[in-house]
Amino acid sequence: MKTSGKVLAAQVAKIKDSDVFSIRSENLPTWCPGCGYFGIHQGINNAIQRMNIPHHKVVTVSGIGCAGRYSFFANTYGLHTVHGRTLPVSTGVKLANPELTVFAVGGDGDGLAIGGAHLPHIARRDINVNYILFDNSIYGLTKGQPSPSSPPGFTTKVSPAGSTEQPLNATLLALSYGATFVARLFAGDPEGITAALIEGIKHPGFAFFHVYTSCVTFDKQFKTWDHLKKWVHPLPENYDSSNHAQSIAHVLEDDYSMGILYRKQDS
Amino acid sequence: MSNVDLTVEICGMSGDGTIAAGGFLNAAVAKAGFSVMAFDSYPAEIRGFGRCVTRCRIGDEEMLALSDKTHVLISLDDEQSQSRLSGLAESATVIFDNKPPSMVPEGASLAAHVEAGTNLVGIPFRDLAAQAAGSTRGRNIVALGGFAALFEMPPEYFHEVITKKFQAKGASILEGNLRCFDAGYNYSKEKYADRIADTLSSENGNGNPDRILQSGNIAIGEGAIDAGVRLYFGYPITPATPIMEYLAKALPEKGGKLLQMEDEISSIGAVLGSFYAGTRAMTATSGPGFALMTELITHGVMAEIPAVIINTQRGGPATGLPTKTEQSDLQAAVWGGPGDSARIVLAAANVPECYTYTIKCFQLAEKYQTPVIVLTDFFLNNRVETMAPISISEEEKADWNIYPDKEDQNNFHRYRITESGISPRPKPGMEGYSYTATGLEHSEKGGPDYTPENHMAMNSKRHRKIEGALNDMPVPEEYFVEDNLDLGVISWGSTFGAALEAVQKARSNGIKVGALKIASIYPFHADLIRSFMEKCGNILIPELNYEGQLAGLIGHLYDKDVIKLNQTTGVPIYPVEIYQKINEIMSR
Repeated sequence: MKTSGKVLAAQVAKIKDSDVFSIRSENLPTWCPGCGYFGIHQGINNAIQRMNIPHHKVVTVSGIGCAGRYSFFANTYGLHTVHGRTLPVSTGVKLANPELTVFAVGGDGDGLAIGGAHLPHIARRDINVNYILFDNSIYGLTKGQPSPSSPPGFTTKVSPAGSTEQPLNATLLALSYGATFVARLFAGDPEGITAALIEGIKHPGFAFFHVYTSCVTFDKQFKTWDHLKKWVHPLPENYDSSNHAQSIAHVLEDDYSMGILYRKQDS
Repeated sequence: MSNVDLTVEICGMSGDGTIAAGGFLNAAVAKAGFSVMAFDSYPAEIRGFGRCVTRCRIGDEEMLALSDKTHVLISLDDEQSQSRLSGLAESATVIFDNKPPSMVPEGASLAAHVEAGTNLVGIPFRDLAAQAAGSTRGRNIVALGGFAALFEMPPEYFHEVITKKFQAKGASILEGNLRCFDAGYNYSKEKYADRIADTLSSENGNGNPDRILQSGNIAIGEGAIDAGVRLYFGYPITPATPIMEYLAKALPEKGGKLLQMEDEISSIGAVLGSFYAGTRAMTATSGPGFALMTELITHGVMAEIPAVIINTQRGGPATGLPTKTEQSDLQAAVWGGPGDSARIVLAAANVPECYTYTIKCFQLAEKYQTPVIVLTDFFLNNRVETMAPISISEEEKADWNIYPDKEDQNNFHRYRITESGISPRPKPGMEGYSYTATGLEHSEKGGPDYTPENHMAMNSKRHRKIEGALNDMPVPEEYFVEDNLDLGVISWGSTFGAALEAVQKARSNGIKVGALKIASIYPFHADLIRSFMEKCGNILIPELNYEGQLAGLIGHLYDKDVIKLNQTTGVPIYPVEIYQKINEIMSR
């Protein structure tokens, strides 16, 4: 995708003008113009701002991949760790100093493939970490390979005939693993991300945020902006986020409802 | 050499109480004031039907190693014990059940297999146990009673350790066991009155009951607690699990926490996270788990985050020999993982060092902002030895973190290039010093930076820092060093005790041989090692690995080839094996 200098300048100006600016570090995001990660960035930063959490009491632990670079772009303490290990590393950070607000940040490859063994365990330990999974269903930093959440038929240079594997549903996994707070969100709705994060940060245990986002450079087939905008919708009006079994049943039926899907009441 | 040097071996099948009897024996002779080194060997399968052997070497001086020769064999199962007869010293004593149960095949009695001249002591273990306590279960205790009388060991030491073990189980069990002991004791005393030796009498004990009987595992656990560790992350693996079991009890008492993680990758990840946030944490593992940790260890190197990892080596490669000892992870500890990832590696040679190095490594990790690996091994962790209690000063546990100054606030360069390579490291929560620690090559401020000059400068910074750590690391220890030695023996880890004993013996036979113990594996004191080597006509490096891993690391410091003695039998090396090699070299 070609981007004119004007579009790029407008993108940067938009971030500078928003209240994101005070928490943005001097390292400008290296994501492609139009990347959904800008929206997630804005959502996270707004939550920190609105909750008045001092930036030096926030630690952002990130993995490898485009999403992993997030920790460089926020003016918090950051720990850019190796591929797939954000959850155990953030467990150590949180237990070492429970006063810190800890975010774990990574993509779908980082969290569902190489690091897929850690989600069940941080969930069952209910460590008070806020895990934001940036799910664009593709490996972007390695220039476009299928990820564990890519659909069958997804064609890339390493799946020229189309991927034949079934996708993982991270929201369903988190609910099944017993995560005590689960939200599904859309990168095109930073305000929705902020609102859910504020609730999740207040939640005393593990909080999981599954964010649908688009890779504008390598995905022209699946999670494109056009598709996502068409597919996502709010949760039903009478949705009861305190009912675990109903949350699972709902997620099995609906892949694109956005909001707080489950919050354990007594925790 | 010492006057008392008695190796007692107890051999039986799983279920005979062999290892338990060894525990009583070790504790009682230690209480009597003798030095002890003891080591068990048992099958890897918990319910497996296998041979259990425990060896206890008793002396009146510090015991450096196990001995190859058994002076007393206590057989709780004659079929199993037959294979142990070849290890008997001349005129050894064999204590066995001379009235075994009827199911024992004919000819299986040890009596039919021992060499002439063996002091054969038959005691009806089972019958005496049944009479004393109503069941044959206490036969191992009867055997200990018989042993104690034969060597004039005062019974009160055994009474004390038996009481300590059984008093919580109620009066009837305790008294039954005490009666079992006395039955064996009295039987031996009467029946073998003419064969009693005063080896373990009160006069021969050196009267140093203040010493404690300690294993490497517990020493490491206590070291961690005394160093102020409050977080432990680990994954069960033989032979490191006992450290985790100890800390699972000890940490909560100190307000700490232990998490059993989902794998070793998570364990080291959480340790790095804790240190990043400013809290001492630790993990312990063995070869296969260590291999999984290597990527994150190099992350600690690159991002300059401290970590402490105990690697209790076992036989390898791969799953290898989980319950056998080896020293084959040295190169993996020093070089394992991607890139030029210099880190600190220490090796403990005995139980006291398991304690002191565990404490030391936290300060090294903090000051030099790097993972520190302490190498131990199955033998060292699982053996017990008598040691004087060590008291650690506040200074030795002090926080060695270097925090940034006020003037760095709000313009903080986390990875500032300094002469020492050390750049101050804040804790999250300190205002004005936010930075991102990263495993990418980075600029002084911490952002990704792959420019040629930056990568050179940063590699150099990290390596200067590790070289500088030598100033705070244990120097090589020299033994019997003089100019023009015919031979120098360089050794590390649990092999060192055997090497030193071999050197002592060779010197008593007039051979000009010295020894050097290396505890700082990486970085190492090249100048000091070289100056020792220069005094020696030959250099011998005995190691429990096939490739000669320490020899590979330091051999180039010598102006000719070093001589290697490599053994991968899964069992500790005996002093005699190194002594024979010394003689072979000297007769060339």
